[in-house]
Amino acid sequence: MNVDVINPFIHSTVNFFETMVSISPRRGKPYIAKDPSRAMTDVSGVIGITGDVDGWVAIRLNRETALEITARMTGEEKKYIDSMVRDAIAEAVNIVAGSAKSEFSNKGQRFTIAIPTVVVGDDHSLSQARGTVYMIIPFESDIGSFSVDVCLADTKAQNRG
Amino acid sequence: MIVDDSMTMRKIIKQILTAEGFDRFIEAEDGNDALNKLRLNDDVDLILTDWNMPQMDGMTFLKAVKSTDAFKNIPVAMITTESAKEEIIEALKVGAKDYIVKPFKPDIVRDKVKKILGA
Repeated sequence: MNVDVINPFIHSTVNFFETMVSISPRRGKPYIAKDPSRAMTDVSGVIGITGDVDGWVAIRLNRETALEITARMTGEEKKYIDSMVRDAIAEAVNIVAGSAKSEFSNKGQRFTIAIPTVVVGDDHSLSQARGTVYMIIPFESDIGSFSVDVCLADTKAQNRG
Repeated sequence: MIVDDSMTMRKIIKQILTAEGFDRFIEAEDGNDALNKLRLNDDVDLILTDWNMPQMDGMTFLKAVKSTDAFKNIPVAMITTESAKEEIIEALKVGAKDYIVKPFKPDIVRDKVKKILGA
């Protein structure tokens, strides 16, 4: 897989956090997860994508960071993961994937995005389907670290980058 | 009327518009819910609708609004991450008055709503 395929997701992530969470996340070096079961977090917002780009995108973070993101988005302080926190993280990954979709579209690559889902549970990991490449884009920020994970089928369109 | 399956987004938009003096909102979770609530409320001034929603998406909802005599004059603004030109053009052709691209700053929502309502 051409690693350039993750660039739209990096751009959309930074734009989302700067615009709606009022933080400037600092990106670390993206890497391929050779053993995704070791990539564990407490909260994951996941959204499927289908088309020229095929797979899923996730925002993974710990509880404290999820609570702070929700508070900054809604102005409502949160002490525990409730329906609003789940919804905020779902909306975050929805915006990240949707904004990336526009950048792909401008390059002639099209996909549809599904309705996001949120997984909450101590130290869970996300599974990788056979024939996909799982890349982790780490971010640091003033409200904690998080990652954007991109797990995509190794298709011809993605190789075009 | 704010149509969005995300309660977070509905809350954010309400906060922005409340600060501008708007005080009556009807919230709907998708296009179907919105159509049902439109039938019960004949004084809706503006519809802000998300695009990517379960049950009935924003484009289907927009088409339903614009093809219904009782609703077709209500201005509709799409709130969407779908900033690809073709999709925006399609929404405007169907009758959307304007669009707001997510993520957005509060002043974008404020200015577009005021412009549409002539406030």
